[in-house]
Amino acid sequence: MIALIGLVVGVVLGLLLEPTVPLWLQPYLPIAIVAALDAMFGGVRARLEGVFDEKVFVVSFLSNTIIAALIVFLGDQLGVGSQLSTGVVVVLGIRIFSNAAAIRRKLFGA
Amino acid sequence: MSLLADLFAGRLLDPGYAEAAARRAAAGTPARPSRLRGTGVLAVLVLAGILVAAAGAEVRRSEPVAAEQRSRLIGEIRTRTTESDALERRVQDLRADTERLRAAALARSNEGEQARRELAAEAAAVAAAPAAGPGLVVTLDDAPREPGDDARAGARADEGRVYDQDLQVLVNGLWAAGATAIAINGLRLTPTTAVRTAGEAILVDYRPLTSPYTVTALGDPDRLADAFSGSAADRRLGALKDRFGMRYDRRRTGEARLPAAGSPRLRHARPARTAPPPDGPPAQQGRRR
Repeated sequence: MIALIGLVVGVVLGLLLEPTVPLWLQPYLPIAIVAALDAMFGGVRARLEGVFDEKVFVVSFLSNTIIAALIVFLGDQLGVGSQLSTGVVVVLGIRIFSNAAAIRRKLFGA
Repeated sequence: MSLLADLFAGRLLDPGYAEAAARRAAAGTPARPSRLRGTGVLAVLVLAGILVAAAGAEVRRSEPVAAEQRSRLIGEIRTRTTESDALERRVQDLRADTERLRAAALARSNEGEQARRELAAEAAAVAAAPAAGPGLVVTLDDAPREPGDDARAGARADEGRVYDQDLQVLVNGLWAAGATAIAINGLRLTPTTAVRTAGEAILVDYRPLTSPYTVTALGDPDRLADAFSGSAADRRLGALKDRFGMRYDRRRTGEARLPAAGSPRLRHARPARTAPPPDGPPAQQGRRR
């Protein structure tokens, strides 16, 4: 419950405050969000499996977003930014889907 | 260790949680497995919400900006086109003035009259003056597309199209048949005009044309038609018409008006009369193109 409230509060805050994303950060925002989604699905799955741990969740969330953005940043510097971000999206997408499948199995037993 | 192997084995992709649970069990700490409590989770989720909302707002904000930039560009294109049209008209006016003044100046002496006649002949040869008279009008057009054509392979859909080569052959055939002036879709051809393809469009003098292509050739219609019938160009275009259904027809016209081509650029000139150097050869006559 508290998680859902946190998420809603965050969205409302973001919509109300409309924080301007600095230009140099804009290319990395979408990839950071995909990484954050991955961490959130991992957290939900862990919770359903009864092994949730706050520290692991917080650390995995922060490190996921920062590392994903850093990888893309590094790719941009090397001239392979779009390829690397494709790679990151593919890997995170696979993880998100497998986590979502696990969540589905736990919730619906199917 | 590999991602795909883990995936197919159905193993946990993120072993962090399992390890933490095992650590807790080993240390004997009471596990609170299913309670999402603590400020860390809350803070992280608020952060995630802000991230998502900011990204969404960013995307929404950039849409009108892009549309606005597009319409501004379109407006600028229109303005510049109007400006360049006005400048073009001014150039034509000034050119007409120049012509008149030159004719008046040259008419004052016999020598000038002679130069004026030469100039008129050369201007006709390089299509610098408008031309009018009877002639032959040849029309080429792409074969009509059947409704199902788009679904077919691109190569087949391309077969019935008029290529730059077809127009080149036609124009060369008309010159060979004795045409004195030729225009394609109202664009006058000069001796140096290129007919070529860029992408899907045919360019004449670097200006794109659209089909149908109307080629007007000035000259005695009967003689032109006689000389052109049965020539290599005529045979080739007739074959294209039979085979691919391209449109190719000819008609005579009693009166056609062709505009002047863009003014020839002066590439090389010297003063016509300079004092000859003491021992050297006489100065060359000015050359004109």
